[in-house]
Amino acid sequence: MIAWAASPFGRIVTRVLLVLACLAFWQFIPVSRAVRFWMSSPSLIAEQFWLWLLDGTLWFHLQASLYVMAQGYVIGSAFGIVFGFLLGHFRRVHRVLTPFLSAVYAVPKIALTPLFIILLGVDNASKIALVGVTVFFLILTATIDGVRDVDHDMVQSFSLMGATRLEIVRKLLIPASLPWIFTGMRIAVRYAFTNTLLAELIASNRGLGFLIEFNSGNFNTTGSYAAIFALVLCSVGLTELLSRGEARIARWRLP
Amino acid sequence: MTPRQTLAWQVALGLLLMALWEALGQLGAVNYVSRPSLVAAKLALWFGGTVYQHLGTTLIELILGMGIGSSLGIVAGLFLGRAPVAAVVLRPLIVALYSVPLVALAPLFIMFLGLGVLPKIVLVGLVTFFLLFFNTFAGAERIDEDQVHALELMGASRGEIFRKVVAPGTAVWIVGGLKIALPYALVATITGELLATRAGLGFLLSQASERFDMAGLYAVLFILMTIGLLLSEASARLETHLLHWRQGHD
Amino acid sequence: MTEKIRLEAVTKLFNTRGTTTVALKPVDLSVRDNEFVALVGPSGCGKSTILNMVAGLMPASGGRVLYDGAPVAGANRRVGYMTQKDTLLPWRSTADNIRLALELKCRRTAKSEADDRVAQMIDLVGLKGFEKHFPAELSGGMRKRAALARTLIYEPETLLMDEPFGALDAQLKLVMLDQLQRLTQDRRMTVLFVTHDLAEAITLADRIVIFSGRPGRIRSIHDIALPRPRDVYKARFDPDFAHLHATLWDEMKDDVIAAGARA
Repeated sequence: MIAWAASPFGRIVTRVLLVLACLAFWQFIPVSRAVRFWMSSPSLIAEQFWLWLLDGTLWFHLQASLYVMAQGYVIGSAFGIVFGFLLGHFRRVHRVLTPFLSAVYAVPKIALTPLFIILLGVDNASKIALVGVTVFFLILTATIDGVRDVDHDMVQSFSLMGATRLEIVRKLLIPASLPWIFTGMRIAVRYAFTNTLLAELIASNRGLGFLIEFNSGNFNTTGSYAAIFALVLCSVGLTELLSRGEARIARWRLP
Repeated sequence: MTPRQTLAWQVALGLLLMALWEALGQLGAVNYVSRPSLVAAKLALWFGGTVYQHLGTTLIELILGMGIGSSLGIVAGLFLGRAPVAAVVLRPLIVALYSVPLVALAPLFIMFLGLGVLPKIVLVGLVTFFLLFFNTFAGAERIDEDQVHALELMGASRGEIFRKVVAPGTAVWIVGGLKIALPYALVATITGELLATRAGLGFLLSQASERFDMAGLYAVLFILMTIGLLLSEASARLETHLLHWRQGHD
Repeated sequence: MTEKIRLEAVTKLFNTRGTTTVALKPVDLSVRDNEFVALVGPSGCGKSTILNMVAGLMPASGGRVLYDGAPVAGANRRVGYMTQKDTLLPWRSTADNIRLALELKCRRTAKSEADDRVAQMIDLVGLKGFEKHFPAELSGGMRKRAALARTLIYEPETLLMDEPFGALDAQLKLVMLDQLQRLTQDRRMTVLFVTHDLAEAITLADRIVIFSGRPGRIRSIHDIALPRPRDVYKARFDPDFAHLHATLWDEMKDDVIAAGARA
């Protein structure tokens, strides 16, 4: 029985049965009305989710979240790569700046939200700023590591060949540090997603985070669970997308 | 550049930044950027009394949540990591769960548990539980079976194999999990407090921002930065202490 | 002398992604108490598989593996097993790795006695001065010796060894062979020793079992009647040794060459 559960076919069946059993338990366990209010039930949640799907609510909030996330991600990455190359190349500057960078990095980024709201307003800009700052630091570190990892002998052999500084950057430093940057950018997607949601929880009138916060704030348990279900779907979809993209990139990255 | 020169540059740069910030404030942007002197005055005032209650609240949430969440996570990870069939069956569910940013569930706990410290402890506990669980699970799964066999042949009991191979062999991964979980726990605490609370550093922060008290806002950020630095220092120390055997001999 | 280990028509099949490969054709072998048997043959002939089955880490696909007359079921706790890859615990120093078996409940030893025995073992395998080093700080040869000390310290009645000295340089290897011979003779251990070094096998063994490769099976078994104790350092200059070496090499060279061509 146990061996069967581990077999390729058996494990799928076991998983499905396990999930169904949990859902059935959730749906049919007899509880008082009060407890049922807090628990809601799978059928109610599915109904709510279906409704949101039909009337476009889900799409509206998802779009809002993705918009903030993408903008913050692109801006943060761009700054991160540029400053990463500069600091990776000018090592003395990097050494002087290190304690300052670690200090700023140590601040939990979410705590910057009130500041961003005062400086940039409650619109998207403050949320994009939060995502951007988070992504910036991740990509910055990755790029610096990448540039510094380039073999010093290789740089020397390039300059012996008569390469100019710009040529060294273009033909050696950039291609050699690309794998590091990609790794950083892959990790940063998750952080961008999380911080988008957090920013939306704290101050927003749209987005998946807002959907969760709004329903919970109104003690709408069914709505809260449906919003969380949407979040789970998005997270899994995002992870899936990432691992596929990664497999594609890895093909030309690896020698 | 010698370390002394580097330090000199750093001090000079620090002073320059402070001076610029002060000047910017004096020149009229004070409503947005405040001034270092005002922030310092604010900190002095707070540390004369009122801040300890908030600091204490935040630290209690952080420490209790971390403690409960990480110990449960480690136990669960060790358990499931050594149960291959359960691991095979549950893997996709675990992977799916891993991809969800759990800290976004903060509003749910506030809805359930109200405005006190409890929802924050649960949130921090949940987030750290899963981070530690995932890491411990991965580590326990990667235990070298040959080492387990070697102890079996020596006559070790299950408990002894666990204590002498599985637990120390997973330590690398557990420390790795703690290093990620510590800053994340701080984020979870502050998120919970920003959403709804009556005490804590997050409360101070949202209070300051509601009153446009920029000095207060920067003062809270300064305190949080200090906590963040202490946490990262603590996890670095823990790492060198627990994993000293990984360093090469010199 | 009584029989210690007995393989009766033992076979091993491996299943990988739907295809079944035969690793071991039916093998019959009997090892007497206090006998030193070397298993020699090309790589991939199932020698290590036999050790794994005697240790009880791997079930036989067919036939029976008996130890002291009883079928082996599950980890066989009366053998000490030195696998090809050492299984030192990376977070323990050399001394603490060697001490490991003495910490277990089944043979808990007082600290002072354990200290003495660890020191003795460290001396024996020539690791003095490296007691506090971690495995990552030891050379390959040192790790092998630490693993040997860790196995010998609890004096198992049977030793299973899978190419234990493969990574050592020639001189050190001779020193280790000498120590191994002395220890196993003194303590009347039974040894099943896998190697592909014929000279090593002749130097140590009472009997040599020659395997042929893929699927593995026993080609021939030879008694090594050289008197004991043998001088490990000079044995290979003995005319009897040279003669044995030549005979056995003729026996196995085709298989070795064929295995080399496959590799």
